[in-house]
Amino acid sequence: MNPRDGKTRREFLRVAGAAACAACAACAPGRRAHAQSQPEGQAGGPRPQVAVHDAMWYDRLPDKAVKCRLCPRECTVADVERGYCGVRENRGGDYKTLVYGALCSLNIDPIEKKPLFHYLPGTTALSVATAGCNMECKFCQNWNVSQYRPEQVDSLLVPPENLVRMAAARRCPSIAYTYTEPVVFAEYVHDTAALGRQQSVGSVMISNGYIREEALRQLCRHLTAVKVDLKAFTEKFYAEQCSGRLAPVLEALEVLKDIGIHTEIVVLIIPTLNDSAGELAAMARWLVARLGPDVPVHFSRFHPIYRVKNLPPTPVEMLDRARKISMDAGLRYVYVGNVPFHAGESTYCPSCGKTVIRRVGYNVDASGLRDGACRACGHKIPGVWSQEQALAFRPREKSAPPSPPPPPARAPAAS
Amino acid sequence: MNAATGITRRAFLTGAAAAAGAGAAGGLAAGCAAEAPTVAPAGGGLRPAPVGGTRPAATPGAKSRVVVIRHDALAADGQGPPPGRVRELLDEAACALAGDARAADAWARWFKPADRVGIKVNCLGYPTRPAVAAAIAAAIAGIGLAPEQVIIWDRTVDELRRAGYEPRASGRGVRCFGTDALAPRGGGYGTEIITSGAIGSLYSRIVTDETTALVSACVLKDHNLAGLTCAMKNFFGAIHNPNKYHDDGCDPFIADVCAGPPVRDRLRLAVCDALRPQYQGGPSHRTQWQWPYGGLLVSADPVALDRVALEVLARKRAAAGLKPLEAEGRPARHLASAEARGLGAADLARIEVIGIGKTWMDVA
Repeated sequence: MNPRDGKTRREFLRVAGAAACAACAACAPGRRAHAQSQPEGQAGGPRPQVAVHDAMWYDRLPDKAVKCRLCPRECTVADVERGYCGVRENRGGDYKTLVYGALCSLNIDPIEKKPLFHYLPGTTALSVATAGCNMECKFCQNWNVSQYRPEQVDSLLVPPENLVRMAAARRCPSIAYTYTEPVVFAEYVHDTAALGRQQSVGSVMISNGYIREEALRQLCRHLTAVKVDLKAFTEKFYAEQCSGRLAPVLEALEVLKDIGIHTEIVVLIIPTLNDSAGELAAMARWLVARLGPDVPVHFSRFHPIYRVKNLPPTPVEMLDRARKISMDAGLRYVYVGNVPFHAGESTYCPSCGKTVIRRVGYNVDASGLRDGACRACGHKIPGVWSQEQALAFRPREKSAPPSPPPPPARAPAAS
Repeated sequence: MNAATGITRRAFLTGAAAAAGAGAAGGLAAGCAAEAPTVAPAGGGLRPAPVGGTRPAATPGAKSRVVVIRHDALAADGQGPPPGRVRELLDEAACALAGDARAADAWARWFKPADRVGIKVNCLGYPTRPAVAAAIAAAIAGIGLAPEQVIIWDRTVDELRRAGYEPRASGRGVRCFGTDALAPRGGGYGTEIITSGAIGSLYSRIVTDETTALVSACVLKDHNLAGLTCAMKNFFGAIHNPNKYHDDGCDPFIADVCAGPPVRDRLRLAVCDALRPQYQGGPSHRTQWQWPYGGLLVSADPVALDRVALEVLARKRAAAGLKPLEAEGRPARHLASAEARGLGAADLARIEVIGIGKTWMDVA
């Protein structure tokens, strides 16, 4: 069963295969490589597989060990072992990704589902994922794939060129790397996004932001937008609930700001775990100070799942409160997510208060927006409002570090 | 206290529990009893467990027993040791462990004819020799189990094949297959997360659905994180997400995997292939750090077996001029954690080592 959309494996493969064939019948995008053999007497059926490709970010160490440089974990991985993500393996001192194009999810989604609200509203994104994640959030909605190893899930091999063709054929202006954690299949994101640019298909990464600066900057040469899950604003939460750290995520957000790529933020509010007024206010103040008041922020509703089943769904009042706290702190575009028909789904002009983009579920009416500005008052609304604008994005070069303070004046040497 | 709502977390949860429903609450409860030991500490390994998996209460002051049997025939390289000889030596070790004169009587202390027994081998790097696994299977079948009731298994069919096994999921004789052979449903793993201490994992359906008893047919080798991989670490191959549990020298995760009910309630015996152990550079196969120890370690106490195995490795490392594992920052901390969970004895002072053949401490 596909955890995201309730499809069975058979349905998934059929849909994926049909989509792939429609896009490029000659390219055999559904090819299954590295099919594993079955024991004699074993019932038939498709077998899991992996797609091996050189990893991009790692250092070689003595004794055939490697040090992964992709995410802040920086796993030291011995020969024949894998990193924390479970999808990168040391093979004789060469580090490999096992999920290059091995897609376990392939759907066409509204861009609002990512959610990206200030990026090509009302369009669709060809949305893909592979197995694996570099965190383990105890509340993960997609744990059935994110917490699995690639050989444990059904997948379909789709090379970058086929995925780009598929997106174009289905008139999806964007490919979304989503559902699980794109950082762990960053090589595929990198190559597909680069190819997509050449063929006028944008790429958006829906990520936990747990990535080192070098890799993030390389990806952003080709991406057109990023959404980051800011899971909480305490190290305690990240350590206890996600097996991760907050500081690297904040650093990644500042890198994204420096790069200048369109970024939106989602915060899943989990009752009693990350919903205190003080924490939310501190988070909002940090966002305003470091990313600016225009960064869109979505407060989403939690539903019990995976290893957090003892808490109820987030009360809507909690989301309203989080939204108010954030707006009081100066954030201008704050949304409520996973609550259909909520007024907080829509975009309002911070100048005149008129509705600029009305949303009801995934239905979008952007008639209040004209040329990227409020139709009523002309206030410019930050975002990416056309495919031309998306594809025109080029990352800013890395800012020079702040100049060191001048050395203290020397006392004149005694003659 | 939640500053905004004015309710305590406890009060919130009390109200929330009703809303979430009993079924949801049960999700976290599964496996939470892992702290309650059913494997007797220390002496639990001394007296063989009766059939059925429930072990006797520890006798106060009793020691866990580990048999180390050594023979030049076991140290043979190339095609591996002669299977018949392995079986003879294994039976001799079983008799010594159980205190029985007849091998069948000894094996019948750990298994009964109605059992379905999973022999967990380790195929990563230098694998458990097929001859060792085959000898275990034959010995178990010898007490009246049909060979089809015995499964030699690891994570994947391909890994088994590369390790020299001949995977076969059905037909006559001992079966041999990987967890992945039970795909497509869940990749061969269960569907409900089992929480045990710090881990939350899906266990192989070979364990949960196909077996009533387990043997850890491990191999003795160095491990770059945990210090050593042996009887307990072997069960990282029984869960779907071992990669999540390598931090902090795999501690307390190794102990928690073994304390999880699927393993804890089934594990009857550990047999360690120490034919050619590897004392450095593991877990990958590095022949320059292997030596012909020619031993089999057998115990009903996996912690005690691992402790003795660790001592063998430590002595070999010292003899080879290598630093102790502690000095390399990778002490086998999981042994103490396992003992704390009641899985067995981690202190050599509470372990009786029965050596057969060449002395077990001779690592030349």
